[in-house]
This record gives sequence, structure tokens and C-alpha cells, in this order.
Amino acid sequence: MQAQNTLLNTEYSTDAQTEPIEHRFNPYQDNGGTILGIAGEDFAVLAGDTRQTVGYSIDSRYEPKVHDVGDNLLLSANGFSADGVQLVKVFQNQLKWYHFDNNKEMAVSSAARLIQHMLYRKRMFPYYVATILAGLDEEGKGAIYSFDPVGSYEREQCRAGGAAASLIMPFLDNQVNFKNQMDPESNGTKRRPLKYLSLEEVIQLVRDAFTSATERHIEVGDGLQILIVTKDGVRSEYFPLKKD
Amino acid sequence: MVGLSFDNYQRNQYLVNQAGFKAPKATSTGTTIVGCQFKGGVVIAADTRATTGPIVADKNCEKLHRIAPKIWCAGAGTAADTEMVTQLIQSNLELHSMYMNREPRVISAMQMLKQHLFKYQGYVGAYLIVAGVDPTGPHLFSIQAHGSTDIGYYMSLGSGSLAAIAVLERDWKEDLSREEAMKLCATAIQAGIFNDLGSGSNVDLCVMETGKDAQLYRNYLTPNVREQKQKNYRFARGTTAVLSKSVFDLVDVIKEEEIVVGTDAMDVDL
Amino acid sequence: MSINAIAKKYSYKTLAERELEDANEEYEHFVPNLSTMSPSLTLPPISQPTEFLRAHTDDSVNPECKIKIAHGTTTLAFRFQGGIVVAVDSRATAGSWVASQTVKKVIEINPMLLGTMAGGAADCQYWETWLGTQCRLHELRNKERISVAAASKILCNLMYEYKGMGLSMGTMVCGCTPKEGPTIYYVDSDGTRLKGDMFSVGSGQTFAYGVMDSNYRWDLTVDEALYLGKRAILAATHRDAYSGGSINLFHVTEKGWVYHGNYDVGPLFWEIKEKEGSFNNVKV
Repeated sequence: MQAQNTLLNTEYSTDAQTEPIEHRFNPYQDNGGTILGIAGEDFAVLAGDTRQTVGYSIDSRYEPKVHDVGDNLLLSANGFSADGVQLVKVFQNQLKWYHFDNNKEMAVSSAARLIQHMLYRKRMFPYYVATILAGLDEEGKGAIYSFDPVGSYEREQCRAGGAAASLIMPFLDNQVNFKNQMDPESNGTKRRPLKYLSLEEVIQLVRDAFTSATERHIEVGDGLQILIVTKDGVRSEYFPLKKD
Repeated sequence: MVGLSFDNYQRNQYLVNQAGFKAPKATSTGTTIVGCQFKGGVVIAADTRATTGPIVADKNCEKLHRIAPKIWCAGAGTAADTEMVTQLIQSNLELHSMYMNREPRVISAMQMLKQHLFKYQGYVGAYLIVAGVDPTGPHLFSIQAHGSTDIGYYMSLGSGSLAAIAVLERDWKEDLSREEAMKLCATAIQAGIFNDLGSGSNVDLCVMETGKDAQLYRNYLTPNVREQKQKNYRFARGTTAVLSKSVFDLVDVIKEEEIVVGTDAMDVDL
Repeated sequence: MSINAIAKKYSYKTLAERELEDANEEYEHFVPNLSTMSPSLTLPPISQPTEFLRAHTDDSVNPECKIKIAHGTTTLAFRFQGGIVVAVDSRATAGSWVASQTVKKVIEINPMLLGTMAGGAADCQYWETWLGTQCRLHELRNKERISVAAASKILCNLMYEYKGMGLSMGTMVCGCTPKEGPTIYYVDSDGTRLKGDMFSVGSGQTFAYGVMDSNYRWDLTVDEALYLGKRAILAATHRDAYSGGSINLFHVTEKGWVYHGNYDVGPLFWEIKEKEGSFNNVKV
């Protein structure tokens, strides 16, 4: 074995050879951060904070992780940033080939299925990411698709992913899907009817979700990047968050 | 040889297995605390974030503890341990000072703390910066959970200690004024607040000057005030689901009746 | 040259033939590793990939593992006089975290076949949609609809090839063909494949069986059968913390499957409690 040739011949070398050495292959890291997607009637937003962390250290205060990947699609893979970057890159490459082969835009439902295959391909060696895809469906309605690390996916009205998902998701259930809310007119007897939120309301909810997550989660902060997709294309907004 | 060197791995493995040593373990505690001496006194400061894992448990906790009126202590590590060990030593120091009929000394506080912590072999996870003034002048000490102590003109402890010490190393000089020392400590804490995820929110500060009362500046700086929320989340009346209703009569309501008092049936004293 | 080949030269390709050709071409892109049917999966570059996978994804082995895969479910299917009823809940959990309350646990393999989802969400979703393509290819190649037995066996064989590699799946393949009639096959990731009249799979299976065993009859009407399916899942969501959300109901007949709606267990519970006078352990 080559490894043994490199060992120095010291008084300890016999011990080293008899001792079992634990080689644990750990290629994963948690880079913190949170992402959030909400679909509206004729738009979808995908937002993420711009802080990247390892342990108690901040690696970057501005490392955008929500990507405009073309064809009116927004994609973000939160978790282990190296895996996230790789996933987005592979997706963009696949999208390019799709254009060459089919000479048309990729539908958001097709993009979702493609991402499932990309994630499941690595079922035995998963990408350590929570993925959210945003776009407009064939009818022009806002669409959010969320994925688990190995590719199971679902279309939803809203979804939070990453470090503070457990802080934001209950807020979204209540404010977007009106969970546990009754219609005040009915005096607590009928469910509050669902309705599409306006873009202004959605941006307000996203900003409040992120300022709140920043207050209570140490890995969230520095900046908030919101990408908005409408039939007119993709627009970006940035709001500073607390830096502590 | 390509790659990392694992030469010491063999030795460390030998030390652990044959020589009975313990493998070194890195401990990180979510806090930044500093202390710094100036001409005629000493300042200590701390951030105000308390965490449980990645969650902020308290945004404005107090990490500056009073041991005696003019001896204060900043604590990092296990929150309960810093609190309890400080209270214990506070009581014992008070009794000691009454018995001796003298003002308590910083060195006594330090000695009592280190003996207590050493006895518990590091299991009491308190990392402290003790400072104060006594008849012998201003003093500044740091104590590790295992019981070792250091003396210094300036020092920092906790997960943000590296960020803080960088500032202290850059700006500390001998014979700082009171204001300069306060500013330096506050800047060092802010370095921790902004660059260490375990630290955050506000700066607490305490100045102890010879011949004067100690002065605690609670929330000396508040550089992390939350912006106003975009939306108002007040729920309209009637939002809560009503599963069932029940009304209790807590007071018996008796219909008013005319009571005729019989003249001979009852003898009522009025 | 065979007569077929000669005839083919002078005839137009049917739509089905073209689809089959395209599919064959498509599959050339995949490097087959286990069987010629399945696409390739990347493995970590180490000697024991399965141990790696277990250490990083199996929360029963390592509760601190970083990649939590969704588990926990109640699904059921039973045969009766009028076909098959399939009922499932809609909750996905990762440890104690409720990841979703709106999961589609019935996978529509094709207009005739249904598959249910228990275990790893991705494993079920991926391989059952894959089974759908295999069934379509079978139709194109054999000019005949696949039997439930054959479809379930394709899935079962695939699972057996991946045995021990960490896949997690417990599914019921339900369908109806002229040859077989209404048929249910249970297939899981160990490679088990069983034909039966009644199955329930998942962490809430015992609760669902309890209700089904006491109320099931072969000659249930369609409405009664649908209600029984719904009622059994409701009981499971009531007692099993890992099941919940809403109930999805399906009815399978020789004409294919019919969707019978989605019922949020929140309001449904109170409705059924009031109607049946059951669940008296819960105070109003």
C-alpha cells in the first residue's frame, strides 16, 4: 500500500499500524441561510438572505443564492452552498441544451421534473440542499415548486427552505394560506376564504419574515435579495438586514 | 509527500492510548466579553445575545454580574454556571468581608472562583473576566472553567474573543483615559457582535474607578435596533375558531320580589 | 429479410411506433448499470457507499444526520365488490418537523394504474413515475395494456436490484385489467411483492387496519367503501402523529381510476364525530 510507504519509521509506527484509523468521509458543510418562495396570481417571488456562514463565522455578507436561470425561471438551492452552486450550474447547462434540442422555452413544470432527475441521480450521494423553483405556469399563474434533497417535489403556494424554515413556515401557513384563521364576519364559525395576495402584500410578508428570522436565527442576516418573476420578466430588489 | 501531514496523528494516538492523555477538545461559547484597564480604573464589557444552538434565546440578556459593589464580572460559557458561580462567590465574599471587617478585594474573588472551578474540573463551564477596584487599586483577571487564571491590562473571552482581541491589540495603550477605555471596550465588543454569530445585539459596560462607585452602563450602545415591520399583524375580532360555547352563571341573579315581613311570625332586629 | 421488415420499408410509421423509437433513442443516453431498464445513479467515491448513505440520511441510525428524508404515512387500499378503494393521508415528516401537509401520496402511474406512497417520498415518486414510462413502453412494444401483475413485478425487480442500498418504499400498485379484474399488489424496498385484498402501509397502518377489519364486507356499496377508506385514514391521522393533513380518495374500476376528492382532516373530524357519534374520547 502506498500510504504505508509514506509513514515515517518512528518508535510509534507499530502502534499506528495496529490502531484502527477511522476514516469518515464527510463532504458536507452547513452554510446556513434561508430562502422563501411565494406564488401570486400572475407573479412569483423567490427570496433569500445573502449571508453565507460556517459555524460561528461569516464567510460572506453578500453572496446571492437566488438565481435567474433564464426562461423566466428562478432557482435557489439552500444548504451546502457548493452543492447548491453545482446544482444551479448543471441546471443552466441542461437548459441551454434543451434550447438547442427543442428550440423553445422550458415550461416550469418541465424544469421541475428535470430538477427531480438531477437530484435523484445523486440518490446515493445526495446534494445537501433544499431547493425551490419559481416561475409562471402555462396559464400565466405563479408557480412555486419545492424539492427535498433527493428529488421528491410538489407544487405549492408558498415554501420556506433552509436554516430558518421552521421559523418562517408557520408564519406563511397563517398569513398566506390563512391557516387557523376564521372569517371575522362569521364570528369564528367559517374559515377565512383563501385569496391571491397582491405583489405589494407578498413583498411585505417576505420582508417581515426575513427581519423576524434575522432576529431569532444567528445564521440569517446581512441582506435580503428578492427576485420577482412576472410575464414581463425578472426583477430584483435588495433590502439590507441586520448584520449582527 | 502530497497532501496534509498526519505525522502528529501517530503521536497523539500514542498519547491517548498509552500515556493516558485526553485528546484536546475545542470548546466554543456564544459570547463576546472584554476587559481593559485604564489610568485609575478598569472597564469590562459584554454583548447581550444568548443562544441555544443557532437560535437566539435572549436578545438582551445581562452578562455583567456584580460580585461586590466595586467588583464586577463578565461571564462566557454555560449561562447557568456563570450566573450561579457568581452568586455563590458574591455571598461568600460578602461574609468574608464582614468577618474581616475590610472591603472585599478582587484577588479574593478571583481566588475563590478559581478554587471552586478547579474543584469541579471544568464541568462548571464558566469562563469569566473579573474586574474591580479595592484598597490596593484596580485589577483585571480572567478565569478559565478548569480553574486557571490570567492577569492582564486587556483581555477578551468567548466565541467572539478573536474579533475583540484584534481590536484591543490594535488600539490598547498604557494610561488610557476613562473615556478612551470605555470606547475601546465598546468597539471590541462591536467587533464580536458583527463578526461572530454567537454574539449580537447590544453592548453592556461597567466602569470601576478608584475612589468612586462602580458605574454600570446597561445597553451602553444599541447598534442593532429592529426596523419597523412592514405590516400590522393584529387579528380582527372573530378570527379565532369557536368550537363550542358555554356560559356559566357565576352569580345567582335573583328576581327582585317584595318581601313581606310577618309581624308575628318573625322577630327581626334592625 | 423478414416479411415484416420489408413491409415496414413501404409503410408509414404509426404514432405509437415513432414514440417507441424516440423512447429507445432517449434511453441510449443513459449508461445502464444495474439493468438495461434503469438510469444510472452516482455513487460516492468510497469503498462503502451504503454506509455513507446511512450515516448521512438515516435518522434512525443517526438522529443528528444532516439530510433528513421524509417518512411517516398512512395509506390503504382494499378490494370489494365494486372495484378498489385507495385512500391516503397527506403529511410528510422529517424527524419531528412536519415538512408538508399537502403531499400527493397517490401516484397516478397511468389512467389505469395507481401507486401509493409510503417511506422515502423521492424513492416512491421517482420510481413510480418511472414505472409509468415502463408501462407505456410495454404498451408500445406489445400493443396491449400491461397487467397489474407485470407492472408490479417490474417495480419489484427494480427494488430487488437496489436491495440493501438504502432505498425506502412501501407501495400498493392498484389497477384493473380484463384478465385480472381489480387487483392490488404490495411492493416494498426489501423486494417483497404480495397480491392481496386489503393492505395498509405506513406508521399509521395499525390504526387503519383496526377500522377496516371491523367494518369491511365484500359487498360494500361504492359509497360505503369510499366512506370506509376515508374513515380508516381519519382514525390513523387521529392517533398517529406522523400522519395527518388531508385525505385523498380514489376508486379504481375496469374503466380506470376516479378521483373522489380531498378532505382536510381538521373539519372532517368534527363532521364525522358529530354524524357518527364516535370519537367520544374527545370533548366538544
